[in-house]
Amino acid sequence: MARAVEAQALDVGYAAGSTVIAGLDLAIEAGTFLSILGPSGCGKSTFLRVVADLLEPLRGTIKVLGDDPHEVRQRRDVGFVFQDSTLLPWRTVRDNIRLPLAIGQSRLTRRIDDRTDELLDMMGIAPFALRYPHQLSGGQRQRVAIARALLGEPKLLLMDEPFGALDEITRDRLNDELLNLWRRSGATILFVTHSIAEAVYLGSRIIVLTANPGRIRKDVDLRPLKGDGNRCSREDPKIVAMMAEMRSALEAAS
Amino acid sequence: MSEPRLTALLQAILYPLFGAASLILAWQFLLPALGVPAYIVPTPTAILAIFAKSGALLLSNLWPTAIEALAGFVIGNLAAVILAIVFVHSRFLQAAYFPVVLFFNTIPVLALAPIIILIFGLGMTPKIVIAAVICFFPTLVNMIRGLGSASANEHELFRVLSATPWEVLWRLRFPRALPMLFSSLRIASATAVIGAIVGEWIGSDKGLGALIIQATFNYQSDRLYAAIVLSSVLSISLFVIVVALERRFVRY
Repeated sequence: MARAVEAQALDVGYAAGSTVIAGLDLAIEAGTFLSILGPSGCGKSTFLRVVADLLEPLRGTIKVLGDDPHEVRQRRDVGFVFQDSTLLPWRTVRDNIRLPLAIGQSRLTRRIDDRTDELLDMMGIAPFALRYPHQLSGGQRQRVAIARALLGEPKLLLMDEPFGALDEITRDRLNDELLNLWRRSGATILFVTHSIAEAVYLGSRIIVLTANPGRIRKDVDLRPLKGDGNRCSREDPKIVAMMAEMRSALEAAS
Repeated sequence: MSEPRLTALLQAILYPLFGAASLILAWQFLLPALGVPAYIVPTPTAILAIFAKSGALLLSNLWPTAIEALAGFVIGNLAAVILAIVFVHSRFLQAAYFPVVLFFNTIPVLALAPIIILIFGLGMTPKIVIAAVICFFPTLVNMIRGLGSASANEHELFRVLSATPWEVLWRLRFPRALPMLFSSLRIASATAVIGAIVGEWIGSDKGLGALIIQATFNYQSDRLYAAIVLSSVLSISLFVIVVALERRFVRY
């Protein structure tokens, strides 16, 4: 199986002397839905930023889709969804989704097609296409942000607590839609969250990081538990037991 | 139109009209009754009469001031926007020169005006320069803040999309700065006219500023007040243009 991400002996830090991630070894198979849990300051978001080529590691190697992260970014094979939707307030929903088309089409190594209409339908936001972000609810804004990230048909989708600011009903609904998207696209998703329930429900694999510096505390393949389609019920006793197991791992990591 | 909306509209238009009309009436009838002489405060009808009598003279003095104010407005604000763009792209230049620029801002423009006239002579140029200098600083400060106001996430989004510095400027920084740019342009619409008139006070034989000085020394107070009304009309016109542009370009 091809590797979507492969990190070896990865050290990452911001200023001199502050190491956020230390000696991380992690291989992620293509097509995985990886949930990343960990206490604040464990480097979850930092790791996504290294994969997205927003941040250079101090030491160690990282390969994304078998390549240097910089090449992957130039090819636009990575999509990024932030916790706050980061929609541009002066652009309509439609124009926010089309932002990737406004940048680098003639310059970057891969042209992307205009799938705006398809994505508006797929994310259920077609009725709001001409509205501005401030006219949308939090859930609708996050749908727009996901649609924008999907426009370039990324092979790897990085999500940094995308549903962290939403109410639980909206979050559950978006969880199911995200799983459907993932099953259909075959993309790899790296999903950072603070919610144990969300991490277990979504992931086909789940890792728990420790804080200061970030290392892998626990690494569980959930496929044996959930079967092929990565489907489960939030009430399934085995799932509930897994959530409890993750909670104690997280408590130990904090 | 529904009744509450009609009421709101009446309140928005009728009440201010009433306020203005009551003050003008008081000016027309109360001030003369109180014994305020016409050479200090002429009545509104007397000012209107001067527009009918000396319309051509007033208009011929309006144009130079209008051109100076508008040219100063455009040049001063454009220079401020360009310098702000340079500053946000070079930490060194900003650190080295922004404090110097702020120091210059503490010099009252009125004190600078004679020097500007010494340098540029008595034509329109020094008035344009004074108007431009007055517009320049508020826009520069607002624009530097506006161009730097995009969030860290917004910059990361553009980096994920592999945007060039030009794309970041044009698609992110500049639209982010627009509301702040327009708030300083609104202020500049009044100050540009002030700059042009002050310039004309110091050395000119035409323009509203020159007319104000001549009318004052000749005790032609109706002409003086007419010139003041025209200056105000000029500022309001510039302001209306700025607001119309803002409505067109800032839609959120």
